[in-house]
Formats: sequence, structure tokens, C-alpha cells
Amino acid sequence: MSLAKPLLPQGAALAAPATRAKVMSTLFAALCLTLLPWADGLRWLLPDLTLMVLLYWCIHAPRLAGLGIAFALGLLTDVTHGLLLGLDALAYCGAAFVALMVQKRLEGFDVPRQTLQLAPLLLGKEALVLTLGLAFGRGEADWRYLAAGLLAALLWLPLAMLLDRVAGRPVPESEHS
Amino acid sequence: MPHTPQAPLFVREMGLPTRFALYLLFCLLLLALDARYSTLAWLRGGLNTLLYPIQRVLAAPWEWSQDVAGFFITHGELKRDNDRLREERDRMRIAQQDRQTLLAENNNLRQLLALPARPDAAPRVVEIVQTVPSPFSRKVIINRGQAHGLEAGSPVVDAVGLVGQVTRSYPLTAEVTLLTDRDQGAPVQILRNGLRLIVSGTGSDRLLEVRFLDMHADIKEGDLLYTSGIDGTYPAGIPVAQVVKTEPPRNTPFARAYCRPLGGVGRYRHVAVLQPALKSAPDKP
Repeated sequence: MSLAKPLLPQGAALAAPATRAKVMSTLFAALCLTLLPWADGLRWLLPDLTLMVLLYWCIHAPRLAGLGIAFALGLLTDVTHGLLLGLDALAYCGAAFVALMVQKRLEGFDVPRQTLQLAPLLLGKEALVLTLGLAFGRGEADWRYLAAGLLAALLWLPLAMLLDRVAGRPVPESEHS
Repeated sequence: MPHTPQAPLFVREMGLPTRFALYLLFCLLLLALDARYSTLAWLRGGLNTLLYPIQRVLAAPWEWSQDVAGFFITHGELKRDNDRLREERDRMRIAQQDRQTLLAENNNLRQLLALPARPDAAPRVVEIVQTVPSPFSRKVIINRGQAHGLEAGSPVVDAVGLVGQVTRSYPLTAEVTLLTDRDQGAPVQILRNGLRLIVSGTGSDRLLEVRFLDMHADIKEGDLLYTSGIDGTYPAGIPVAQVVKTEPPRNTPFARAYCRPLGGVGRYRHVAVLQPALKSAPDKP
């Protein structure tokens, strides 16, 4: 971290705090995106946008998006999947918990470095859902769904930048300048 | 925390690990309840009713675009379709006449033998509105539910054969588990010799299998399998599958047969829901 970057956000970042409305509307938009009638053959590649937006807000507004919201979103996702109630809720809560534990650290990193740290989390969530489904005897798991976790990690960069604009955070000046 | 103005000055809440542990416990409780008992149907139904309008609104542009694309069909194509349908109608009419006489004859014979009448139920045509995005199961959602009198257990067919079974009925929609789901099975009979078998899904759209087949069972390639109607769920006589390959026992004492489903499992947009076959109680002597 260069000396030019202050320890606490200042100036423009202070002027635009994350509001509950912004958090809720982006989460709702992400949930709607996953509810779109995606082609059947591409389901396994569909990244979990709801979880990504949730993690973004866990990092940048931990007071507004916490375990409770993760649980509620997970329950809604469970109903759309029709598999087992509580499966995705558990995965979402776990992911949010890990993100909140290391929230201070994640917040200090720039987006590409965040990607490296969040990739295992996004991949782990898919693996957890598949493993739990197997454990509760829901037949054979389709392991291709792990690819969704990888794609989610790849999409973190554009999504975080987009949400930075939505949240009204200032464009970070390059650290090497 | 400067950009979270809602942060309280003094923290008076449980620590993060404690809260997580509570949520974890609650999730596991939900999982166990849902996996072992069916007490959570009301919660699932309620949330589903909440989400259904959103899903319909989101799917609407897709459907409109399909409708618009369907509008620009050439005249030749319409003409060809019309001719084909007319031909098909004539053929069906002849078959129908045949069926009428056969039905009458059947009724007469049943009366003579004092057998209970065949359950006769009008099929309800429904539309598949969504597939369930899950890595585990082969399920679709249809646009009729409890409000339309649909109940879990009803068989679902298309013009050609069996497609699946309604497994969950929500207030406005219902969930159909396709025949090709790994956990789904149907009791069938070979048309050629009347051998009773159970055919199960494999998780693939084009393949069903008969597991635990007797080594010397008389089953050959090309055999047609029809529902036998002995389970009280599927009415008898619905075409299910055609045998494509039989496999002699290798590591197990049982042979296996692979079949191709006849119904358009996972292909059509409209299917018909039948009444579940009534469990006919044995007649009193």
C-alpha cells in the first residue's frame, strides 16, 4: 500500500455511502438475472450472480449486508432450485461468513487481487452445494456445475467495477502513478 | 467504519462466529426437516407463490420474441403444415372410429365379466414454463397448480408417451419430475410378452434403464414397453420406451437393458396431466 493512499477512505468516498436501497436493489436485480429463462444446456455455466453481489456488499457495506440477508437470499434461491430447503442458504451463509471474517483485508485490496482471494470462496460454494446434495442423497451430482464457480471468479472484475459505479465510489487512481 | 453511517457507537450484539453458528444450526435443521419429513411444504409453496409473478414477468420478453418469430412464417410452410394436419386428422378419425367400437366392446365385456369400469379421465393440457436449474435432478415447472386442482402424483404425458409425474404442487404452479430423473421409476410391461419390469431414469434425456433384470428374462432389442398400471399412479397402456440394448450380467448377477423414452421428455412446451389411476380395491367376494 503506497503512502499516497490514506488509511481511511476520504473525500468522495465519504460523500457517497452505501445505502440500504442500493444494496437491496442490486441484490434484487442479481436475483432477477438468475431467474431469467436461461437455455437449459447452459445452466451449468451460469455463475451465481446473487452470491457475487452479496459478497461485494459484505466487503463494502458489512453493516447492510450480513448473514441475515445471506440466509434470506439463500432460501429464495433454494425455492427456485426445488432441491432441498436450506442447501443454498447454508452455502450463502458460509460464504458471507468467510467474507465478513476477512472483510477488512479484502476491502484494502484492489479488485484484481480480490479476485484471487474470492476465487476459492466462489468455487467452494459450488462444491459445498454439490457435496451437501450428495450427502442428503439427492442422486448423482453434475460436477460440471463447478465451472460456474470458475466463471464467477472471472466475472468478479467486471462486476465489482460495475457495482463501484453503482455505489458511487470514486474511480481509484492507479497506485503506480 | 466511515462509509457505514448506520454503525452503532457501541457494539451490542453477538459476535460474528456466534451468529454464524446459529444460522448454520438453523440451516441444518431446515435441511434435515426437508430431507426426512414433508413439513415444510407450506414454506416452499408460499415463497414459490412470491417468486412466480417475477419469473413470469422476466420470461415474458422471451415468449413475445418467440411469438413474433412465429408470426413471420412463410405461406408455403403454412400450406404444407395444413396439408399434413388434414391428412393426420383423417387418419385419426379412422382410428377414432375404431376406438369407439373397441371401447363399446370393452365396456360390454367388462360388464359381462363384472369388472370395475376403466377410470376415464379428461387430460388437462398444461404448459412447461421453466426448467429447474439444479445439478441433481431432471424437473420442470408447469403453469397449473393447486388452484387448478392439480395434485402431486398425477402422471404427465405428451402425444406420444409418458413424460413424468407431478411431484410437488404449489398454489399456482407444479413441479414435474421427468421420467429420466435418476430417482424416478415406472412399472412397465413388454408389449410382446407381457413381462412386468420397472424402468428407471439415468439422468440423461435419451436413456432409461431396466436395472436388476433376471439373467434369462425374455427381453430383446426393439421391444416396446407400456405402463402396466399396477402401481396405482400411472394408468395402464401408456407407451413408455423402446429397448435399444440389452447387456448380459458382468460384475453383478443381474442383466441390464437400456431403453429410449418414446415421449418427448425435455422437448415439448405443452404436455397433458392425467388423473392418477385410482387404486382399485379388490372386489368383495
